[in-house]
Amino acid sequence: MASRGGGRGRGRGQLTFNMEAVGIGKGDALPPPTLQPSPLFPPLEFRPVPLPSGEEGEYVLALKQELRGAMRQLPYFIRPAVPKRGTTILIPKRPPKNTEDKEETIQKLETLEKKEEEVTSEEDEEKEEEEEKEEEEEEEYDEEHEEETDYIMSYFDNGEDFGGDSDDNMDEAIY
Amino acid sequence: MTQAEIKLCSLLLQEHFGEIVEKIGVHLIRTGSQPLRAIAHDTGTSLDQVKKALCVLIQHNLVIYQVHKRGVVEYEAQCSRVLRMLRYPRYIYTAKTLYSDTGELIVEELLLNGKMTMSAVVKKVADRLTETMEDGKTMDYAEVSNTFVRLADTHFVQRCPWVPATENSDPGPPPPAPILVISEKDMYLVPKLSLIGKGKRRRSSDEDAAGEPKAKRPKHSTDNKEPIPDDGIYWQANLDRFHQHFRDQAIVSAVANRMDQTSSEIVRTMLRMSEITTPSTAPFTQPLSSNEIFRSLPVGYNISKQVLDQYLTLLADDPLEFVGKSGDSGGGMYVINLHKALGSLATATLESVVQERFGSRCARIFRLVLQKKHLEQKQVEDFAMIPAKEAKDMLYKMLSGNFISLQEIPKTPDHAPSRTFYLYTVNILSAARMLLHRCYKSIANLIERRQFETKENKRLLEKSQRVEAIIASMQATGAEEAQLQEIEEMITAPERQQLETLKRNVNKLDASEIQVDETIFLLESYIESTMKRQ
Repeated sequence: MASRGGGRGRGRGQLTFNMEAVGIGKGDALPPPTLQPSPLFPPLEFRPVPLPSGEEGEYVLALKQELRGAMRQLPYFIRPAVPKRGTTILIPKRPPKNTEDKEETIQKLETLEKKEEEVTSEEDEEKEEEEEKEEEEEEEYDEEHEEETDYIMSYFDNGEDFGGDSDDNMDEAIY
Repeated sequence: MTQAEIKLCSLLLQEHFGEIVEKIGVHLIRTGSQPLRAIAHDTGTSLDQVKKALCVLIQHNLVIYQVHKRGVVEYEAQCSRVLRMLRYPRYIYTAKTLYSDTGELIVEELLLNGKMTMSAVVKKVADRLTETMEDGKTMDYAEVSNTFVRLADTHFVQRCPWVPATENSDPGPPPPAPILVISEKDMYLVPKLSLIGKGKRRRSSDEDAAGEPKAKRPKHSTDNKEPIPDDGIYWQANLDRFHQHFRDQAIVSAVANRMDQTSSEIVRTMLRMSEITTPSTAPFTQPLSSNEIFRSLPVGYNISKQVLDQYLTLLADDPLEFVGKSGDSGGGMYVINLHKALGSLATATLESVVQERFGSRCARIFRLVLQKKHLEQKQVEDFAMIPAKEAKDMLYKMLSGNFISLQEIPKTPDHAPSRTFYLYTVNILSAARMLLHRCYKSIANLIERRQFETKENKRLLEKSQRVEAIIASMQATGAEEAQLQEIEEMITAPERQQLETLKRNVNKLDASEIQVDETIFLLESYIESTMKRQ
């Protein structure tokens, strides 16, 4: 009725409790209003205490990492099934890789390797890896595909070397 | 189960068992007890995969099953057990300190495999130990068996619930799932096996790596076709016993920090004497007389009876009340107040967190409120001798962090705010719960960050692994120094730097996880002990 003025009449801004009881004195500056959620990484006022180091700490740390690796190798680790594509997949010899292509080929190798795991036994997979490694090593320098071009190097020959190799039969005409 | 716990369980399951097991496990944790078909339908995975995942989870004691009415079998996940996976390294290390390498490997095998028969454990551990020994030496099965028996006697390993050997007089259909029983007296009974043999050394696989195709190794190699003598008798690690050990360790080191080495030795003796007689959840140990304690002190300790009595009196009078005097017969009957000790440890953790997070002046206010139980704003300023403005600011910081809470005491029945006392108080139980929840979130963040770091540098890691494998195989076939050098240079110096940084970061994150888990253990023990008393 008379006292209900939509919050605009007198009595506006009065609280139901005595502010001094919680420690806000009259005339004290209140902290600024919060307009957004607190930052995701609030600034650290105090540096954290250093982690315990020492023989025990190191040993337990090494144990933890070892266990993590070991559990991935156990049969309890179930890998998500990938669509089967038949038995052994031979990895063909690839054209030369640039640094950007290396990423993709490594990823391709990975996915193929994963398929290997699902379908064949571990031994075959290791054999594949060794073959790949050998292939990779051997393929590092391929003379024909030296630069980043679509053409083999003999395309760029300007014919200087032609004809200068034969030491015998110089009388024969060269057409 | 809080969201933070579920998230952490999800990360742990995924890291250790893969995504399929994680999906099923998290679904069960979220929804509670469910039958097989409901799980398959709700998660959208094939029945086959659900069965595999459930097998893995049940094998590792993470899921239990029950036959309900109308023959429906329901599966239930145990969230708290999943969180124990964080503590595996600590269990294994404890076994190492108590029973040396043999014990360490036994506990490790049991934790990695969930449940195993004794013969399988002994064989596997003997093989592993033989690998590490010098050429020509092997590990005898008998020695491993002995350590196993000792672990069972001290309750560190226990038998899993088994199928009772009933004689069915009525040939009715078998129940849909076996009903397992477990009896207290048989839980640590070691079967009479005569395991004779020595560990086998596995042929080193380096020679085979030079391109020769290895013979196909069957996935489950059974070297001998003899029937397993203790088939059906499975063992698991008894985590509660390990927790009891950790609790005892924490109490002893607290006493050592607060008083001196001798008092901590006395407390350790008392705890050791109560190990088997007192259940782990009891609020205090059985009373021990001073004479008994004197007789049980470790051999090297040469303190006289009077000195022991003086120490015991000192311990009993200490305000922390770790040790209490319960009678005067036998030279004085003393107990260890386990519940109070855990409470003190939890409180110390809270104080330490407040100090490191808000500063030492905040910590002073916190300790003050703890000590005086309830204080008004004005009283806090006076007792702590901190100016009003700063005290107010600190109190509010702690209040919004939920370390401190407000207690209203009305003066009038109408609870008018202007006529009400507002007192600051610390509710240890709820603050401990809040901190525990925060710990779960922290570990989840740490694991996520570690996975992120590893993923970022995945390419580099794989490259370095390949290079190492190449070097190892070349060394085995006898390559020259120059060739090895060449291969090593495949990893450039900045890449090496990056690998070093990655390794350092991952180590730091891992060590932090271990550290936070210790805090989790203290807080959980305190909360559990408090809940049992209500």
